[in-house]
Amino acid sequence: MIRLRELSFTYNGAEKPALNNINLTIEDGQFVLITGASGGGKSTLCRVFNGLVPHFYGGRIGGKAEVQGMDILETPPRELATRVGMVFQDPENQLVTTDVEREIAFGLENLGYPKNLIARRIEEALDTAGIAHLRFARNNELSGGEKQKVAIASVLALHPEVLVLDEPTSELDPQSAEEVLRLLERLNDELGLTVILIEQRLDRVIHLVDRLLVMGNGQIIADGTPRKVMGGDSEGLGIGLPPVIRLMRKLQGKELSLNGLPLTVKDARLQLQKALKSVKTAEFADAGAGSKPVLNIDKVWFSYGERAVLRNINLEIERGGFVGIMGRNASGKTTLVKQFNGLLKPTRGKVRLDGADTRKSTAASLSQRVGYVFQNPNDHLFADTVEDEIAFSLRNRGAEEKQINKAVEEMLNEFELGRYRKSYPRNLSGGERQRVALASVLVGEPEVIVLDEPTRGTDYVLKKKLINYLDDYRRRGNTVIMVSHDVETIAECADRVVLLSEGRVVVEGSKREALSKALLFSPQINRLAQALSGYGVADTTLTVDEMLEQIG
Amino acid sequence: MPELSYRDKNTVIHALSPLVKLAWGGGLVVLSLIFNHPVYILILFLSIIPLVWLAGVGREWASTLKFTLWLGLSIIVINALLSYHGDHVLLAAPFRLPVVGQPVITLEAIAFGAVMALKLAVIISVFTLINLTVHPDDIMAVLLKMRLPYKSVLVTSLSTRFVPCLVEDIGRISDGYRTRGVQLDAGGWLKKLRNRAKITIALLSNSLDRAVQVAEAMEARAFGSGKKKRVFYKDINISRMDAVTLGVGVLPLAAGIAVRVLGFGDYQYYPNLTSIGFGGWGWVMPAMMILLLAAILPLAFLKRRVELD
Repeated sequence: MIRLRELSFTYNGAEKPALNNINLTIEDGQFVLITGASGGGKSTLCRVFNGLVPHFYGGRIGGKAEVQGMDILETPPRELATRVGMVFQDPENQLVTTDVEREIAFGLENLGYPKNLIARRIEEALDTAGIAHLRFARNNELSGGEKQKVAIASVLALHPEVLVLDEPTSELDPQSAEEVLRLLERLNDELGLTVILIEQRLDRVIHLVDRLLVMGNGQIIADGTPRKVMGGDSEGLGIGLPPVIRLMRKLQGKELSLNGLPLTVKDARLQLQKALKSVKTAEFADAGAGSKPVLNIDKVWFSYGERAVLRNINLEIERGGFVGIMGRNASGKTTLVKQFNGLLKPTRGKVRLDGADTRKSTAASLSQRVGYVFQNPNDHLFADTVEDEIAFSLRNRGAEEKQINKAVEEMLNEFELGRYRKSYPRNLSGGERQRVALASVLVGEPEVIVLDEPTRGTDYVLKKKLINYLDDYRRRGNTVIMVSHDVETIAECADRVVLLSEGRVVVEGSKREALSKALLFSPQINRLAQALSGYGVADTTLTVDEMLEQIG
Repeated sequence: MPELSYRDKNTVIHALSPLVKLAWGGGLVVLSLIFNHPVYILILFLSIIPLVWLAGVGREWASTLKFTLWLGLSIIVINALLSYHGDHVLLAAPFRLPVVGQPVITLEAIAFGAVMALKLAVIISVFTLINLTVHPDDIMAVLLKMRLPYKSVLVTSLSTRFVPCLVEDIGRISDGYRTRGVQLDAGGWLKKLRNRAKITIALLSNSLDRAVQVAEAMEARAFGSGKKKRVFYKDINISRMDAVTLGVGVLPLAAGIAVRVLGFGDYQYYPNLTSIGFGGWGWVMPAMMILLLAAILPLAFLKRRVELD
């Protein structure tokens, strides 16, 4: 059992407490999901459970904290390691040895267990995590999902009673994320492990958990079963409800008699099949063909050494369009978009920006016209203050100081960064850094903006703001290209979708053609619509509003 | 270029104890430095080939050899251009330089350069072979066996583990600069240098973040738990068979040093190349070296037999 009483914690040098008067009891065997806005204290809370706060990160702590009968404030993390296992966000930076077997042995060796016990524990951990086939694999050859499973196995080997995971899937593609989550479900179900999971995207996990905690400003602002928390007044919580839940909440207000809040597409389907009375037939047309193409990708091949990553890609991207680029990991998405701003040049074929061949310019000179936002905001941050960071590209271009100041001011307002203007960008929280990165690219008003996984690991509020901003940006005549695994976001804001597989374009068309009636790449609402098409619901329905139009 | 990192393979060479391979390889490196006689150096070089072949890493070795060849050629050229010793002048410059006099290219300088290049080939080949056939963690285990402190060994092994990440970081940070309009490779050397420095700062900052994360992950897995002594699961056990092979692995080094102390294996390059013949019973010494160096081969097979039984 975990018990926190009036727990507060302030990091050294911080003004505001990261945790503010937390009271929390977690019973053994629960599956607890913690979510909430970035900077709300989720990660800090998790680090209390195994003593990293306050023993590893110094600061002022008050109150009481107890895990499995041990006083956390008195016990260092290395001694709590056999009670509480912790898995971190970045799959790369938590593996310390070179191969899987040694990785799992690492903790056991530290504890000085006898070798025969270590051998047995390794065996168990490999089997429990379902990675026995990876036993002799080298860590640097594993995929992100595999690395995360190795990290879980290496923690399981210590036989903890509690498993804490800090956004373990945020850097994984949907398939790998699904596998990791399924593993957690099994550990909780079959072994009775207490699982505490931080996660931003609720649609993937909400049906697995017993309890949902929402954090904000260092406090627990909601606590209860998922149905209770999401069925209540969830507006002010800053969490993104999965589309199917948003739909059902809206329907509950209407005359349809629904029985409890469904958490999955299946629940919703079963309820709607019973309750559905009348369906207003609707047809959803896509926006007509737009203007002239701004980017022409003509028979493009690209290879790293002998390995072809792009194979004969032909695309036209219209000015003013919003294009979603999707596909499995390693299908060539990032390699493709790096051709658009000249970071990579085609091995064969041509990429033309407004008719001009990109091979004739450098990435630096193309950057004025094609902005590029990287997956990891750290790759953007090199200035000393947020202000300088945002001003960087304008200054580099030799713009006038007055003009720069005005543009920087606008960006600081737009992305709510005003109070951090003098801060060192890398000291900010993940969400804030992402905002700085975006501002630093968008300040130059490039006519084409490429974003690589911008919504990965971001909280709901930021995601929503980003989408609104991009939509607005597009309306001003600019073009937005977004690489994403996030089907729901693409369904909401893109107008065209490109699906890549093994370096080829397998689907290219309007989002409705591409995303409806597909299996894996359909948004929740479309999966629901497909099941209800027998009742007259259009099987091209993609969003909550479209669904409400028909059955509300 | 094939990847030059360790890969698990089922060969007799991979199965040899890492301690034996390190002793044998280390011996070879030392011998290549203390011998001057071209025949001895050639013997050292040739003795690596059967091991490379048995380990099935010929392709990788060939690729480093190609690189060594260029390096070797440049050693020969530079030595020929800068060393004016030797009586057999092949080419003389039509001018004189202050202090050094008339530049000349001599047969002796070329020969000396060639043997230096061969020494380099021996050293690089040994490193390639060890790198390809000894698991990096085993090197760590050997260092621990030699009673180096665990924490220093761990830090070394961690830093090598993160080298590929660092290389990736450099690529990404450079891309980050390019997309913000910085021409990294334009301008004078001062500007280039300044641009590179910016990358270094971002790189350092990334690495510090990474260091904190790794430390946190280690702490969470009971690193430094002081209650009991740390155990090494994959500790290197030295079986009796290993002790024998280890003896054989060290033998060439010991014998080589003795041979050298007795005055064999030296060679005069300047002012005139001397005969590379040994005269009288002199050939016994290189023959013995060949036998000792090759002794590791039958033992490798024998070890496999013993293990299979």
